Amino acid sequence: MTEVLFPQLSDQDPDGEGVLATWFVDDGATVAGGELIAEVMVGKVTSEVIAPVPGAIHLKVKEDDVVRQGSVIATIS
Amino acid sequence: MTTTETPATTATAPTTSARRLTTAKAMVEGIAQEMERDPSVFYLGEDVGAYGGIFSSTTGLLERFGPERVMDTPISESAFLGLAIGAAVEGMRPIAELMFVDFFGVCMDQLYNHMAKIHYESGGNVRVPMVVTTAVGGGYSDGAQHSQCLWGTFAHLPGMKIVVPSTPYDAKGLMTAAIRDDNPVVYMFHKGVMGLPWMAKNPRATGPVPEEPYEVPIGRAAVVREGGDATVVTVSLSVHHALDVAEELAADGIDLEVVDLRSLKPLDRETVLASVAKTGRLLVVDEDYLSYGLSGEIAATVAETDPGLLRSPMRRVAVPDVPIPYAHPLEYAVLPTRDRIREAVHHLVRA
Repeated sequence: MTEVLFPQLSDQDPDGEGVLATWFVDDGATVAGGELIAEVMVGKVTSEVIAPVPGAIHLKVKEDDVVRQGSVIATIS
Repeated sequence: MTTTETPATTATAPTTSARRLTTAKAMVEGIAQEMERDPSVFYLGEDVGAYGGIFSSTTGLLERFGPERVMDTPISESAFLGLAIGAAVEGMRPIAELMFVDFFGVCMDQLYNHMAKIHYESGGNVRVPMVVTTAVGGGYSDGAQHSQCLWGTFAHLPGMKIVVPSTPYDAKGLMTAAIRDDNPVVYMFHKGVMGLPWMAKNPRATGPVPEEPYEVPIGRAAVVREGGDATVVTVSLSVHHALDVAEELAADGIDLEVVDLRSLKPLDRETVLASVAKTGRLLVVDEDYLSYGLSGEIAATVAETDPGLLRSPMRRVAVPDVPIPYAHPLEYAVLPTRDRIREAVHHLVRA
Protein backbone atom coordinates (compact mmCIF):
# COMPACT_ATOMS: atom_id res chain seq x y z
CA MET A 1 0.00 0.00 0.00
CA THR A 2 1.29 3.45 -0.93
CA GLU A 3 0.26 6.57 0.93
CA VAL A 4 -0.47 9.74 -1.04
CA LEU A 5 0.44 12.85 0.93
CA PHE A 6 -0.81 16.40 0.76
CA PRO A 7 2.16 18.18 -0.89
CA GLN A 8 4.34 20.65 1.00
CA LEU A 9 3.45 23.96 -0.66
CA SER A 10 4.47 26.51 1.98
CA ASP A 11 8.10 26.60 3.17
CA GLN A 12 7.38 29.44 5.59
CA ASP A 13 4.61 27.52 7.26
CA PRO A 14 5.43 23.82 6.87
CA ASP A 15 2.77 22.80 9.38
CA GLY A 16 0.16 25.00 7.73
CA GLU A 17 -3.13 23.71 6.46
CA GLY A 18 -4.50 23.59 2.94
CA VAL A 19 -7.67 22.51 1.18
CA LEU A 20 -8.35 19.46 -0.96
CA ALA A 21 -9.94 21.43 -3.79
CA THR A 22 -10.86 18.78 -6.37
CA TRP A 23 -10.77 15.03 -6.60
CA PHE A 24 -10.50 13.94 -10.22
CA VAL A 25 -11.02 10.28 -9.34
CA ASP A 26 -13.70 8.45 -7.36
CA ASP A 27 -13.09 6.42 -4.25
CA GLY A 28 -12.22 2.87 -5.25
CA ALA A 29 -11.24 3.78 -8.82
CA THR A 30 -8.28 2.18 -10.52
CA VAL A 31 -5.63 4.77 -11.29
CA ALA A 32 -2.58 4.67 -13.53
CA GLY A 33 0.84 5.72 -12.26
CA GLY A 34 1.36 9.40 -13.15
CA GLU A 35 -2.36 10.09 -13.47
CA LEU A 36 -3.75 13.40 -12.21
CA ILE A 37 -5.80 12.55 -9.14
CA ALA A 38 -6.34 15.82 -7.26
CA GLU A 39 -5.78 19.54 -7.04
CA VAL A 40 -4.90 21.06 -3.68
CA MET A 41 -4.46 24.60 -2.45
CA VAL A 42 -2.59 26.41 0.32
CA GLY A 43 -3.57 30.06 0.43
CA LYS A 44 -3.94 30.86 -3.25
CA VAL A 45 -1.13 28.51 -4.30
CA THR A 46 -2.45 25.43 -6.06
CA SER A 47 -0.77 22.17 -6.94
CA GLU A 48 -1.66 19.01 -8.78
CA VAL A 49 -1.37 15.64 -7.07
CA ILE A 50 -0.24 12.78 -9.28
CA ALA A 51 -0.70 9.08 -8.50
CA PRO A 52 2.79 7.81 -7.55
CA VAL A 53 1.92 4.17 -8.36
CA PRO A 54 -0.90 2.35 -10.19
CA GLY A 55 -3.65 0.59 -8.25
CA ALA A 56 -6.98 0.99 -6.53
CA ILE A 57 -7.26 4.35 -4.79
CA HIS A 58 -8.97 4.94 -1.48
CA LEU A 59 -9.73 8.57 -0.65
CA LYS A 60 -9.10 9.55 2.97
CA VAL A 61 -10.40 13.13 2.82
CA LYS A 62 -13.33 14.81 1.09
CA GLU A 63 -13.37 17.76 -1.28
CA ASP A 64 -13.18 21.06 0.60
CA ASP A 65 -11.71 19.37 3.67
CA VAL A 66 -9.00 21.36 5.42
CA VAL A 67 -5.87 19.20 5.56
CA ARG A 68 -2.43 19.69 7.14
CA GLN A 69 0.40 19.64 4.61
CA GLY A 70 2.17 16.29 4.56
CA SER A 71 -0.79 14.31 5.88
CA VAL A 72 -2.27 11.31 4.10
CA ILE A 73 -5.04 12.16 1.62
CA ALA A 74 -5.34 8.74 -0.07
CA THR A 75 -3.87 5.28 -0.25
CA ILE A 76 -3.23 3.21 -3.37
CA SER A 77 -3.09 -0.58 -3.15
CA MET B 1 -16.85 34.25 -43.55
CA THR B 2 -15.75 30.85 -44.73
CA THR B 3 -16.49 27.85 -42.63
CA THR B 4 -13.90 25.21 -41.99
CA GLU B 5 -15.58 21.90 -42.63
CA THR B 6 -13.81 19.55 -40.31
CA PRO B 7 -15.77 16.50 -39.30
CA ALA B 8 -16.21 16.42 -35.56
CA THR B 9 -15.60 13.20 -33.75
CA THR B 10 -18.37 13.94 -31.26
CA ALA B 11 -20.64 16.91 -30.73
CA THR B 12 -21.37 16.43 -27.05
CA ALA B 13 -19.51 14.99 -24.13
CA PRO B 14 -19.42 11.22 -23.80
CA THR B 15 -21.30 9.94 -20.79
CA THR B 16 -18.52 7.61 -19.79
CA SER B 17 -14.92 8.65 -19.86
CA ALA B 18 -12.52 7.61 -17.19
CA ARG B 19 -10.60 10.82 -17.01
CA ARG B 20 -11.96 14.05 -15.55
CA LEU B 21 -10.44 17.53 -15.80
CA THR B 22 -11.38 21.03 -14.79
CA THR B 23 -12.35 23.40 -17.59
CA ALA B 24 -9.06 25.30 -17.17
CA LYS B 25 -6.99 22.13 -17.53
CA ALA B 26 -9.05 21.00 -20.52
CA MET B 27 -8.51 24.35 -22.21
CA VAL B 28 -4.74 24.16 -21.61
CA GLU B 29 -4.64 20.60 -22.94
CA GLY B 30 -6.36 21.71 -26.14
CA ILE B 31 -3.82 24.50 -26.62
CA ALA B 32 -0.85 22.24 -25.82
CA GLN B 33 -1.92 19.50 -28.22
CA GLU B 34 -2.28 21.99 -31.07
CA MET B 35 1.08 23.60 -30.23
CA GLU B 36 2.57 20.11 -30.31
CA ARG B 37 0.98 19.35 -33.69
CA ASP B 38 1.51 22.70 -35.40
CA PRO B 39 4.67 24.80 -34.88
CA SER B 40 2.91 27.93 -36.16
CA VAL B 41 0.69 28.06 -33.05
CA PHE B 42 1.94 30.35 -30.29
CA TYR B 43 0.41 32.12 -27.27
CA LEU B 44 0.92 35.69 -26.10
CA GLY B 45 -0.61 37.97 -23.52
CA GLU B 46 -0.26 39.45 -20.06
CA ASP B 47 0.90 36.99 -17.38
CA VAL B 48 0.43 33.98 -19.65
CA GLY B 49 4.03 32.79 -19.14
CA ALA B 50 5.49 32.22 -15.68
CA TYR B 51 2.18 33.02 -13.98
CA GLY B 52 0.27 30.59 -16.19
CA GLY B 53 -2.64 32.93 -16.85
CA ILE B 54 -4.43 34.66 -14.00
CA PHE B 55 -7.36 32.25 -14.51
CA SER B 56 -5.09 29.27 -15.27
CA SER B 57 -5.68 29.42 -19.02
CA THR B 58 -2.00 28.69 -19.81
CA THR B 59 -0.66 26.78 -16.79
CA GLY B 60 2.48 24.83 -17.71
CA LEU B 61 2.73 26.02 -21.32
CA LEU B 62 5.86 28.14 -20.78
CA GLU B 63 7.70 25.23 -19.16
CA ARG B 64 6.71 22.97 -22.02
CA PHE B 65 7.14 25.21 -25.07
CA GLY B 66 9.55 27.94 -23.98
CA PRO B 67 9.44 31.74 -24.14
CA GLU B 68 9.48 31.99 -27.93
CA ARG B 69 6.10 30.30 -28.17
CA VAL B 70 4.57 31.42 -24.88
CA MET B 71 5.20 35.14 -24.63
CA ASP B 72 4.50 37.52 -21.78
CA THR B 73 3.62 40.91 -23.13
CA PRO B 74 3.68 44.36 -21.57
CA ILE B 75 0.33 45.93 -20.66
CA SER B 76 -0.16 47.03 -24.25
CA GLU B 77 -3.27 45.32 -25.64
CA SER B 78 -3.41 47.34 -28.84
CA ALA B 79 0.23 46.52 -29.62
CA PHE B 80 0.20 42.80 -28.92
CA LEU B 81 -3.16 42.18 -30.57
CA GLY B 82 -1.82 44.05 -33.59
CA LEU B 83 1.27 41.85 -33.42
CA ALA B 84 -0.93 38.75 -33.42
CA ILE B 85 -2.94 40.00 -36.41
CA GLY B 86 0.27 40.65 -38.36
CA ALA B 87 1.61 37.22 -37.47
CA ALA B 88 -1.68 35.58 -38.52
CA VAL B 89 -1.70 37.40 -41.84
CA GLU B 90 1.85 36.11 -42.41
CA GLY B 91 0.79 32.52 -41.81
CA MET B 92 1.23 31.93 -38.08
CA ARG B 93 -1.62 30.82 -35.82
CA PRO B 94 -1.40 33.09 -32.80
CA ILE B 95 -3.55 32.87 -29.70
CA ALA B 96 -3.65 36.27 -28.00
CA GLU B 97 -5.13 36.64 -24.54
CA LEU B 98 -7.03 39.74 -23.54
CA MET B 99 -6.81 39.26 -19.78
CA PHE B 100 -10.34 40.55 -19.08
CA VAL B 101 -12.85 41.23 -21.86
CA ASP B 102 -13.62 44.47 -20.01
CA PHE B 103 -10.30 45.80 -21.35
CA PHE B 104 -11.44 45.64 -24.98
CA GLY B 105 -11.82 49.41 -25.02
CA VAL B 106 -8.09 49.97 -25.34
CA CYS B 107 -7.65 47.61 -28.30
CA MET B 108 -10.98 47.40 -30.13
CA ASP B 109 -9.71 49.07 -33.29
CA GLN B 110 -7.27 46.20 -33.78
CA LEU B 111 -10.03 43.65 -33.18
CA TYR B 112 -13.09 44.88 -35.03
CA ASN B 113 -11.54 47.08 -37.72
CA HIS B 114 -8.50 44.94 -38.54
CA MET B 115 -8.71 41.36 -37.27
CA ALA B 116 -12.38 41.07 -38.21
CA LYS B 117 -12.22 42.86 -41.56
CA ILE B 118 -8.97 41.95 -43.31
CA HIS B 119 -10.40 38.73 -44.75
CA TYR B 120 -13.41 40.64 -46.10
CA GLU B 121 -11.49 43.63 -47.39
CA SER B 122 -9.03 41.40 -49.23
CA GLY B 123 -11.85 39.54 -50.92
CA GLY B 124 -10.89 36.43 -49.03
CA ASN B 125 -7.31 36.54 -50.29
CA VAL B 126 -5.81 37.22 -46.88
CA ARG B 127 -6.71 34.97 -44.01
CA VAL B 128 -6.45 35.85 -40.31
CA PRO B 129 -6.27 32.48 -38.53
CA MET B 130 -6.00 33.69 -34.95
CA VAL B 131 -7.73 33.14 -31.62
CA VAL B 132 -8.41 35.80 -29.01
CA THR B 133 -8.93 34.25 -25.59
CA THR B 134 -10.54 36.39 -22.93
CA ALA B 135 -11.92 35.97 -19.41
CA VAL B 136 -15.51 37.06 -18.85
CA GLY B 137 -18.13 37.17 -16.14
CA GLY B 138 -18.72 38.20 -12.57
CA GLY B 139 -19.92 36.82 -9.28
CA TYR B 140 -16.80 37.33 -7.18
CA SER B 141 -16.87 41.07 -6.36
CA ASP B 142 -14.38 42.23 -8.95
CA GLY B 143 -16.30 45.39 -9.75
CA ALA B 144 -17.78 47.03 -12.79
CA GLN B 145 -14.60 46.92 -14.93
CA HIS B 146 -13.69 43.26 -14.34
CA SER B 147 -17.03 41.42 -14.33
CA GLN B 148 -18.69 41.91 -17.68
CA CYS B 149 -19.47 39.32 -20.34
CA LEU B 150 -19.80 41.62 -23.38
CA TRP B 151 -20.26 38.77 -25.84
CA GLY B 152 -23.24 40.60 -27.28
CA THR B 153 -20.95 43.51 -28.13
CA PHE B 154 -18.50 41.25 -29.97
CA ALA B 155 -21.19 39.15 -31.65
CA HIS B 156 -22.82 42.31 -32.97
CA LEU B 157 -19.75 43.07 -35.06
CA PRO B 158 -19.26 41.09 -38.27
CA GLY B 159 -16.14 39.14 -39.13
CA MET B 160 -15.26 37.10 -36.07
CA LYS B 161 -16.56 33.84 -34.70
CA ILE B 162 -17.50 33.76 -31.01
CA VAL B 163 -17.32 30.63 -28.87
CA VAL B 164 -18.28 30.42 -25.19
CA PRO B 165 -17.73 26.99 -23.61
CA SER B 166 -19.44 25.96 -20.38
CA THR B 167 -17.93 22.50 -19.81
CA PRO B 168 -14.44 20.98 -19.75
CA TYR B 169 -15.31 18.85 -22.79
CA ASP B 170 -16.45 21.82 -24.86
CA ALA B 171 -13.57 23.98 -23.61
CA LYS B 172 -11.02 21.61 -25.12
CA GLY B 173 -12.98 20.81 -28.28
CA LEU B 174 -13.86 24.42 -29.05
CA MET B 175 -10.26 25.49 -28.40
CA THR B 176 -8.99 22.88 -30.87
CA ALA B 177 -11.59 23.94 -33.43
CA ALA B 178 -10.81 27.64 -32.88
CA ILE B 179 -7.08 27.17 -33.41
CA ARG B 180 -7.64 25.11 -36.58
CA ASP B 181 -10.19 27.57 -37.99
CA ASP B 182 -8.86 29.92 -40.68
CA ASN B 183 -11.02 32.77 -39.37
CA PRO B 184 -10.53 34.94 -36.31
CA VAL B 185 -12.25 33.31 -33.35
CA VAL B 186 -12.93 34.99 -30.01
CA TYR B 187 -12.88 32.38 -27.24
CA MET B 188 -14.64 33.69 -24.13
CA PHE B 189 -14.13 31.70 -20.93
CA HIS B 190 -16.12 32.51 -17.82
CA LYS B 191 -13.99 32.56 -14.67
CA GLY B 192 -16.75 30.66 -12.88
CA VAL B 193 -16.62 27.63 -15.20
CA MET B 194 -12.84 27.15 -15.00
CA GLY B 195 -12.87 25.00 -11.84
CA LEU B 196 -10.35 27.21 -10.07
CA PRO B 197 -9.78 26.16 -6.46
CA TRP B 198 -9.83 29.76 -5.21
CA MET B 199 -13.16 30.65 -6.85
CA ALA B 200 -16.65 29.60 -5.72
CA LYS B 201 -16.94 25.82 -5.83
CA ASN B 202 -18.64 24.61 -9.02
CA PRO B 203 -18.99 20.84 -9.42
CA ARG B 204 -20.06 21.28 -13.06
CA ALA B 205 -16.62 22.77 -13.82
CA THR B 206 -15.05 19.29 -13.58
CA GLY B 207 -16.01 16.66 -16.12
CA PRO B 208 -14.96 13.95 -18.57
CA VAL B 209 -12.42 14.95 -21.22
CA PRO B 210 -10.95 12.53 -23.77
CA GLU B 211 -7.16 12.53 -23.87
CA GLU B 212 -6.90 12.54 -27.65
CA PRO B 213 -7.43 15.76 -29.68
CA TYR B 214 -10.99 16.36 -30.91
CA GLU B 215 -13.06 19.27 -32.17
CA VAL B 216 -16.41 20.58 -31.00
CA PRO B 217 -17.85 22.18 -34.13
CA ILE B 218 -18.14 25.96 -33.98
CA GLY B 219 -21.71 27.13 -34.57
CA ARG B 220 -23.50 24.16 -33.09
CA ALA B 221 -25.52 24.34 -29.87
CA ALA B 222 -26.11 21.39 -27.56
CA VAL B 223 -29.34 20.32 -25.89
CA VAL B 224 -27.79 19.57 -22.52
CA ARG B 225 -31.05 18.56 -20.89
CA GLU B 226 -34.18 17.35 -22.61
CA GLY B 227 -37.60 18.38 -21.35
CA GLY B 228 -41.07 19.19 -22.57
CA ASP B 229 -42.44 22.10 -20.52
CA ALA B 230 -40.19 25.03 -21.43
CA THR B 231 -36.93 25.80 -23.20
CA VAL B 232 -34.12 27.63 -21.45
CA VAL B 233 -31.65 29.04 -23.97
CA THR B 234 -28.43 30.11 -22.34
CA VAL B 235 -24.63 30.06 -22.48
CA SER B 236 -21.55 29.81 -20.25
CA LEU B 237 -21.92 29.78 -16.45
CA SER B 238 -25.67 30.34 -16.76
CA VAL B 239 -25.91 26.86 -18.30
CA HIS B 240 -24.79 25.46 -14.96
CA HIS B 241 -27.36 27.55 -13.09
CA ALA B 242 -30.10 26.55 -15.53
CA LEU B 243 -29.25 22.85 -15.08
CA ASP B 244 -29.29 23.25 -11.29
CA VAL B 245 -32.74 24.86 -11.46
CA ALA B 246 -33.98 22.25 -13.93
CA GLU B 247 -32.97 19.43 -11.59
CA GLU B 248 -34.70 21.18 -8.68
CA LEU B 249 -37.91 21.88 -10.59
CA ALA B 250 -38.10 18.35 -11.92
CA ALA B 251 -39.15 17.40 -8.38
CA ASP B 252 -42.09 19.82 -8.74
CA GLY B 253 -43.09 18.24 -12.03
CA ILE B 254 -41.68 21.01 -14.23
CA ASP B 255 -39.63 19.53 -17.02
CA LEU B 256 -37.13 22.00 -18.52
CA GLU B 257 -35.14 21.66 -21.71
CA VAL B 258 -31.79 23.45 -21.54
CA VAL B 259 -29.97 24.59 -24.68
CA ASP B 260 -26.29 25.51 -24.32
CA LEU B 261 -25.56 27.72 -27.31
CA ARG B 262 -21.77 27.14 -27.01
CA SER B 263 -21.16 29.41 -30.03
CA LEU B 264 -22.74 32.84 -30.46
CA LYS B 265 -21.38 33.36 -33.96
CA PRO B 266 -22.39 31.53 -35.99
CA LEU B 267 -25.56 31.12 -33.90
CA ASP B 268 -27.31 27.74 -34.08
CA ARG B 269 -30.82 29.10 -34.61
CA GLU B 270 -32.13 25.72 -35.81
CA THR B 271 -31.52 24.04 -32.46
CA VAL B 272 -33.23 26.91 -30.64
CA LEU B 273 -36.23 26.83 -32.96
CA ALA B 274 -36.57 23.06 -32.79
CA SER B 275 -36.62 23.18 -29.01
CA VAL B 276 -39.12 26.06 -28.84
CA ALA B 277 -41.32 24.26 -31.38
CA LYS B 278 -41.33 21.29 -29.01
CA THR B 279 -41.97 23.09 -25.70
CA GLY B 280 -43.84 26.24 -26.80
CA ARG B 281 -42.22 28.25 -24.02
CA LEU B 282 -38.95 30.18 -24.03
CA LEU B 283 -36.74 31.68 -21.36
CA VAL B 284 -33.40 33.22 -22.33
CA VAL B 285 -30.82 33.48 -19.55
CA ASP B 286 -27.89 35.74 -20.33
CA GLU B 287 -25.17 37.13 -18.04
CA ASP B 288 -24.61 39.97 -20.52
CA TYR B 289 -26.65 43.18 -20.46
CA LEU B 290 -30.36 42.90 -21.19
CA SER B 291 -30.88 45.42 -23.96
CA TYR B 292 -29.71 45.10 -27.58
CA GLY B 293 -28.07 41.73 -26.97
CA LEU B 294 -28.22 37.94 -27.07
CA SER B 295 -31.63 37.64 -25.44
CA GLY B 296 -33.17 40.02 -27.99
CA GLU B 297 -31.47 38.12 -30.82
CA ILE B 298 -33.00 34.83 -29.68
CA ALA B 299 -36.41 36.50 -29.37
CA ALA B 300 -36.08 37.90 -32.88
CA THR B 301 -35.10 34.49 -34.22
CA VAL B 302 -38.37 33.03 -32.96
CA ALA B 303 -40.49 36.03 -33.95
CA GLU B 304 -39.09 36.14 -37.48
CA THR B 305 -39.57 32.43 -38.02
CA ASP B 306 -42.95 31.76 -36.44
CA PRO B 307 -44.27 33.71 -33.45
CA GLY B 308 -46.95 31.03 -33.24
CA LEU B 309 -44.38 28.64 -31.79
CA LEU B 310 -44.86 30.36 -28.42
CA ARG B 311 -47.82 29.40 -26.25
CA SER B 312 -46.99 32.21 -23.80
CA PRO B 313 -44.85 35.35 -23.95
CA MET B 314 -41.13 34.58 -23.78
CA ARG B 315 -39.11 35.85 -20.84
CA ARG B 316 -35.58 37.09 -20.33
CA VAL B 317 -33.28 36.92 -17.32
CA ALA B 318 -30.22 39.06 -17.94
CA VAL B 319 -28.18 41.80 -16.30
CA PRO B 320 -30.30 44.95 -16.21
CA ASP B 321 -28.65 47.82 -18.00
CA VAL B 322 -26.38 48.90 -15.14
CA PRO B 323 -22.67 48.37 -14.44
CA ILE B 324 -21.99 45.26 -12.34
CA PRO B 325 -21.88 46.31 -8.66
CA TYR B 326 -18.93 45.44 -6.41
CA ALA B 327 -20.98 44.86 -3.26
CA HIS B 328 -21.90 41.19 -3.06
CA PRO B 329 -25.66 41.56 -2.38
CA LEU B 330 -26.00 44.16 -5.12
CA GLU B 331 -23.96 42.11 -7.58
CA TYR B 332 -26.13 39.08 -6.96
CA ALA B 333 -29.22 41.25 -7.40
CA VAL B 334 -28.27 41.88 -11.03
CA LEU B 335 -26.66 38.56 -12.03
CA PRO B 336 -28.84 35.80 -13.53
CA THR B 337 -28.96 33.75 -10.35
CA ARG B 338 -30.76 30.47 -9.79
CA ASP B 339 -33.43 32.38 -7.84
CA ARG B 340 -34.14 34.69 -10.76
CA ILE B 341 -34.18 31.78 -13.22
CA ARG B 342 -36.55 29.75 -11.00
CA GLU B 343 -38.92 32.70 -10.62
CA ALA B 344 -38.95 33.33 -14.37
CA VAL B 345 -39.69 29.67 -15.07
CA HIS B 346 -42.63 29.73 -12.66
CA HIS B 347 -44.07 32.79 -14.41
CA LEU B 348 -43.46 31.19 -17.79
CA VAL B 349 -45.15 27.86 -17.13
CA ARG B 350 -48.10 29.45 -15.33
CA ALA B 351 -48.76 31.93 -18.14
